[in-house]
Amino acid sequence: MSEHITKIREVLAETDMVLGWTASGAGGVAAPARFHTAEEAAAAVFDSTCVHNLAVHLPRLKGRTVGIVAKACDARSIIELIAEREIDREQVRIIAVNCPAVLDVKAIWSRYGYGARVEDDGSELRVNGEMVDRKTFVQAKCANCTESKFASASASERLKLSEDFKSMSVEERREFWRDQYGRCIRCHACREACPMCYCRDVCIMQTTDPHWTGGGIDAGEAEMMQLIRVNHLAGRCTACGECERACPVGIPLMLLMEEQNRAIKEMFDYRAGIDPEAKPPLLTFDIKGDAWGDA
Amino acid sequence: MSDLKLIGFLCNWCSYAGADMAGTARMKQPGDLRVIRLPCTGRVNPLLILKAFLEGADGVLVSGCHPGDCHYNVGNYHARRRLELLQRMLPAYGIDAGRFHYTWVSASEGARWADVVSDFTKRIDSLGKIGTSGSAKAGPAVAEEPRILES
Repeated sequence: MSEHITKIREVLAETDMVLGWTASGAGGVAAPARFHTAEEAAAAVFDSTCVHNLAVHLPRLKGRTVGIVAKACDARSIIELIAEREIDREQVRIIAVNCPAVLDVKAIWSRYGYGARVEDDGSELRVNGEMVDRKTFVQAKCANCTESKFASASASERLKLSEDFKSMSVEERREFWRDQYGRCIRCHACREACPMCYCRDVCIMQTTDPHWTGGGIDAGEAEMMQLIRVNHLAGRCTACGECERACPVGIPLMLLMEEQNRAIKEMFDYRAGIDPEAKPPLLTFDIKGDAWGDA
Repeated sequence: MSDLKLIGFLCNWCSYAGADMAGTARMKQPGDLRVIRLPCTGRVNPLLILKAFLEGADGVLVSGCHPGDCHYNVGNYHARRRLELLQRMLPAYGIDAGRFHYTWVSASEGARWADVVSDFTKRIDSLGKIGTSGSAKAGPAVAEEPRILES
């Protein structure tokens, strides 16, 4: 761990601040933190409870040089932000970390109680001092990650849901979404947690003219809000899964993103967050290559 | 007129003029489509189409200039990517992809416009009102033929 702190201090010497984690969250899990000085950096940690995508803070810190601790999935968000010219590559120092596959802390707490003590030394995972099998609690997104050592593990319910969703009929999906959106409390955490949702005060979810979506808490309004999100992230979503993780009522928001990313891959052979020089597919066109629809 | 709600987003320069021509030539066509004139298909935000469905539209048709003929040169090339993506995403949203169609009709293709609108209305008619179609229990939703506008 001291190696991690040393690295952060090195980067701090040439930046205004470093975004990282401290172990100050409930139950000792990691909480995001900004380090401005070498003394503050002494509290820095990195372990499997560092679930957040810190890239979400970068657009708000424009104009300052910022160091950022990034997992492989977070790095894709940073690359996409650079590709969209939202942040300046010269003003960002990336501290890459070897990600051990992050944990689904909500799942741990729903089994052991909120705030249960989570300790992970890299090899053994303990909850309230008791050894537990890491594979049970690895996030679903990590099971798909090529960087993960647990690629074949994680018998997550969430992965099963992705499969089930694919086999649903259109009518079943309509029912499914009505149920899911009916639970939405309109907290907008999905939007706030998304590194690519950087419009902030000019977001059309809160304009009244045009009135795309009202403030009402019902399935219809919530559905429109999610359709706005999905459409605005077309060809831009790096599948970091933060929207779904941030959702306090557990709506599987990534289902539509996964579906859309698949369609984008199929249509344009494109994945967001891979090449900082790439042009997002919906910002351009190909006269001959786009052979869809009527001639 | 049947009680279907069909929304058409038409570009000002080609399809709206084409529909106008079908009208002045007194071609027979169903009258269920409510036309919204836009400057270009490039103006068609996919969210407009989704909002229409959420507000109860049974079908949405988008029509613009043929690729290569856009009044603004490239508007329909941008539209083509967006509309095709939307077409592929509709089933995931829980909306039958058959309820949406995008096509190109030029200002001189009045006859083609009449065909497009007739075929589209027929197709939505067979799918029925949104929210009632498809499920085996509901059965065929609409029996009534769409009314043909008399000249």
